[in-house]
Amino acid sequence: MKMLEIKNLHASIEGKEILRGINLTVNEGEVHAIMGPNGAGKSTLSNVLTGREGYEITQGEVIYKGENLLELEPEERARRGVFLAFQYPVEIPGVSNIYLLKAALNAIRKHQGLDELDAIDFLTLVRSKMQLVKMDEQFLHRSVNEGFSGGEKKRNEILQMALLEPQLAIMDETDSGLDIDALKTVSEGVNALRSPERSFVMITHYQRLLDYIVPDFVHVLSEGRIVKSGDKELAKELEKSGYSWVHDSPEAEAEGQPA
Amino acid sequence: MKVLKDIHTDFSAVANSRDVMVADNARWKTLREQAQHQFGRMGLPGRKEEDWKYTSLWQLGQEQFVHQVSQPGHADIHELKLVEDAYRLVIVDGRVDLTASSINELPSGLTVTPLSQSIDRASEFLNQQINMEKPGFNALNTMLMNEGIFVEVAENTKIDKPIELIVVNSGHTLHYAMHLRHVIVLGKNSQATLIEVYAGNEKANGLTDVVTEANLAEKAELFHYKLQRESLDHFHVATMAATQATDSKWHNTNISLGGKLARNDVHSQLLGEQSHVTLNGLYLVTGEQHVDNHTRIDHSVPNTTSEEVYKGVLDEQSHAVFNGKVIVHKDAQKTDANQSNRNLLLSRGCEIDTKPEMEIYADDVKCGHGSAVGQINEDQLFFLRSRGLDAVSARSLLTFAFAVEVIDRIANQELKQSITRVIEKRLPKGGAHE
Repeated sequence: MKMLEIKNLHASIEGKEILRGINLTVNEGEVHAIMGPNGAGKSTLSNVLTGREGYEITQGEVIYKGENLLELEPEERARRGVFLAFQYPVEIPGVSNIYLLKAALNAIRKHQGLDELDAIDFLTLVRSKMQLVKMDEQFLHRSVNEGFSGGEKKRNEILQMALLEPQLAIMDETDSGLDIDALKTVSEGVNALRSPERSFVMITHYQRLLDYIVPDFVHVLSEGRIVKSGDKELAKELEKSGYSWVHDSPEAEAEGQPA
Repeated sequence: MKVLKDIHTDFSAVANSRDVMVADNARWKTLREQAQHQFGRMGLPGRKEEDWKYTSLWQLGQEQFVHQVSQPGHADIHELKLVEDAYRLVIVDGRVDLTASSINELPSGLTVTPLSQSIDRASEFLNQQINMEKPGFNALNTMLMNEGIFVEVAENTKIDKPIELIVVNSGHTLHYAMHLRHVIVLGKNSQATLIEVYAGNEKANGLTDVVTEANLAEKAELFHYKLQRESLDHFHVATMAATQATDSKWHNTNISLGGKLARNDVHSQLLGEQSHVTLNGLYLVTGEQHVDNHTRIDHSVPNTTSEEVYKGVLDEQSHAVFNGKVIVHKDAQKTDANQSNRNLLLSRGCEIDTKPEMEIYADDVKCGHGSAVGQINEDQLFFLRSRGLDAVSARSLLTFAFAVEVIDRIANQELKQSITRVIEKRLPKGGAHE
């Protein structure tokens, strides 16, 4: 069943067109990797899908589980199961991690018509999820991401994902700034969350992440369009020959046309 | 003189009426006379006075304040108290409410009385911490003070429970003006916690004019909290001043939520070596509110320290003023002073005038100050919304997160929790943090 359908999506920021006709279908349980050089529109795509302000959608549509995703506020998307793991998780001094986790979980539970978890059930649940990403409990009582290392911030993102159990997880450059050990931990966390009902869109510059989280499909994004799609072998090809060849490829033009 | 003209209330006439506390005490009488003379000469300051540049008293001058209570009001202390177990004095509409108070069973070494019952003792300490010549309300307060709290802690005494003063304007008598003087005396090596709460019915549209003077002897330590949550139609003018002897510590927290116009003058004089003052402040204003905090710290001798953090949240058309003066006098070597004022602006219509000032006349000191004005961080807001929090709750949470630094500095845990609850209700679309 279709989870996400992006049709001929065009988006601009400050009058400059960044996305120029993206077509992508993600079915339940699939893991898609979107790769591309800097400036290809990777972060714009994740921002548009999660509803960050400042982007103008000039053409096309995005259907998420039968609904027009682009009409929803960011929090409405989150409550319906869309999750963004940020490339640069923001620090929020004065808001404790545990408060954030609880507020987020309860907002989503409320949308699902479920009662809020009591303090003990909540803590039990959070602890089990923390083990998944090998996070120490002291991080619960610290301000969100404040003074966290790069790896700790990314693990915190995965912790939130594990707790909120999204249907569609969009991961924006999750591997950036991670050393190999942190990358392994984060990947193990993500792999543990893979299921037939959950889909992933992983946005990444490097192939490295895909050694650990093996995608079902790989797409190459260039100048605001998907110019090539394939399986995990495509990522390896890219790793070997870089992105320069994609511009010259004849099939790039063909696939870049609106469907 | 840069005075305010056209004051509709004849304060000088009130000073000669039966509405002030008459005391058969020579020093008291002399101070009163001096105050009347001084007020007659200076009146209230106009905006050309440097310290009143951003705060106009014009509106206050237009008010015809009443100094007699037509009917004694009532206050629900259960709603207003911030700590359960305290030595408590309650003043409603300028009069002590003894049934609501609990000052009968005091430990040895502690005196807590209405000011009117300790005139002779209090007058020994009166006007030591304030200067009536200064443009402002000190002279007015001295000539009109008609009640207050007197606290004295004997030397080597540590008070187990907080002393809580609750001052209420019930709104029964409209335009009612209250003039209160609190005298706090801490003996050598003593320690106490004082909480001042100013509240009122939302109909109350009068004036609270209050001066708190604290005298800290050697090694004395005062944890001093003030929460002002009066009606949005009320005027509030207050001074908190302390003189500090060697090794004394004054931890002052000043929270302003209410009032149409609220002005606080906070002044510490570090007169003994190794003395320390902490000034924490928080103001949350909205609508047409105007809040003005003027603080001053005098480092008069070597080896003293001060730390000051004032934070403000402004919404709608509100206006806030911060002026923090730190004066390091000529002999005050090795002074360590730090001051910051940060403001969060939630709307385009609000205005902040902030001016940290350091005057340093010694050469071997460590001093720093800064001020900042900012808005809600859009990245933080988007992050919270992307986790399912609606925009209003997310804004409210970020506003609280900004203010929490000041709240976290409250040493008493019970007080911290109750102040947190009060503040959460005052956040934009309040209560979202719960």
